[in-house]
Amino acid sequence: MRRHRRRKRLQGEVELNLAAMLDMAFQLLTFFILTFKPAPVEGQVSLRLPPPQPVTNVGGQAQAGDDVNNLDPVANLDSLVISVVGDSGGNIGSLAIGENNIANVEQLETQLRIVLGDPSTKFEQVILQVGDTLRYEELMRIIDVCSRQVLPNGQKLSKLSFVELPTGQAPAAP
Amino acid sequence: MTPILDMVFQLITFFMLVMNFKSASMDLTLRLPVVGSARPVETGGQEQLLILNVNAKGELIVYNTPRDIDSYIAAEAEAILMVARREHPELQFGDELPTTVVVRADRSTPFSLLNRVIKAAQDRGFRKFSLMAMNKKD
Repeated sequence: MRRHRRRKRLQGEVELNLAAMLDMAFQLLTFFILTFKPAPVEGQVSLRLPPPQPVTNVGGQAQAGDDVNNLDPVANLDSLVISVVGDSGGNIGSLAIGENNIANVEQLETQLRIVLGDPSTKFEQVILQVGDTLRYEELMRIIDVCSRQVLPNGQKLSKLSFVELPTGQAPAAP
Repeated sequence: MTPILDMVFQLITFFMLVMNFKSASMDLTLRLPVVGSARPVETGGQEQLLILNVNAKGELIVYNTPRDIDSYIAAEAEAILMVARREHPELQFGDELPTTVVVRADRSTPFSLLNRVIKAAQDRGFRKFSLMAMNKKD
């Protein structure tokens, strides 16, 4: 009785050909291994880049340099102007905040922290006047410093505008 | 036989899941600048991205082919504007577009050439930009 039952089951059994399936699976595996290329870990610096606007006072009346008693021409303005001119090799040649020359990027960071952290100033955006020969790598060092700054209202500085300075042109307020 | 098949299928699943189709739009030959404070890309799955690869000669590279900067950005902006109008029908040409422009430029690109790409994007209504950089030297 028992034997009879087993024979019956064997007759209806479908055998799966695993060898062929394994061949195919290995082929798929080889394909995925060969095409596997991990993407490099990239970071981003998020910015809001409005087109450059003329430098204006918070109140919309005064212009840079109007106040003769004010020794800092960019004080009381909502746009801070930073000029970066590249040398012939594309490296940072000269740096200035407004008309004050800055020696290097580290000093720029210190100065920016003082200027932007001052609650009496109302800077909201930075205008970067960039020499046309400056390499992107060097520009990113400046952008990096700017994007790390915190405004008096606690927000991170993310508004930047780029203005191109043609070769040989002295930096000036737009 | 069955355990080996199980293992192979698991491996296949792994490689299928980690396959990144987005990297096809990135030009991996570009040498990005190194910036310590660069953060990983976070869009929250909401925003659209327009990836612009700019090589050291200032050419715009799209899927390994140099393209004309103005016409490519204009075409993309038009397409994005059409899509954005479905949700905001009041959007006009030149208004701010909801897309973030991802600029992947070579570290030795002169600013004048890079600025052409940024200006072209700004003229078409793009305001949000992401400048891509490596966190550490390779």
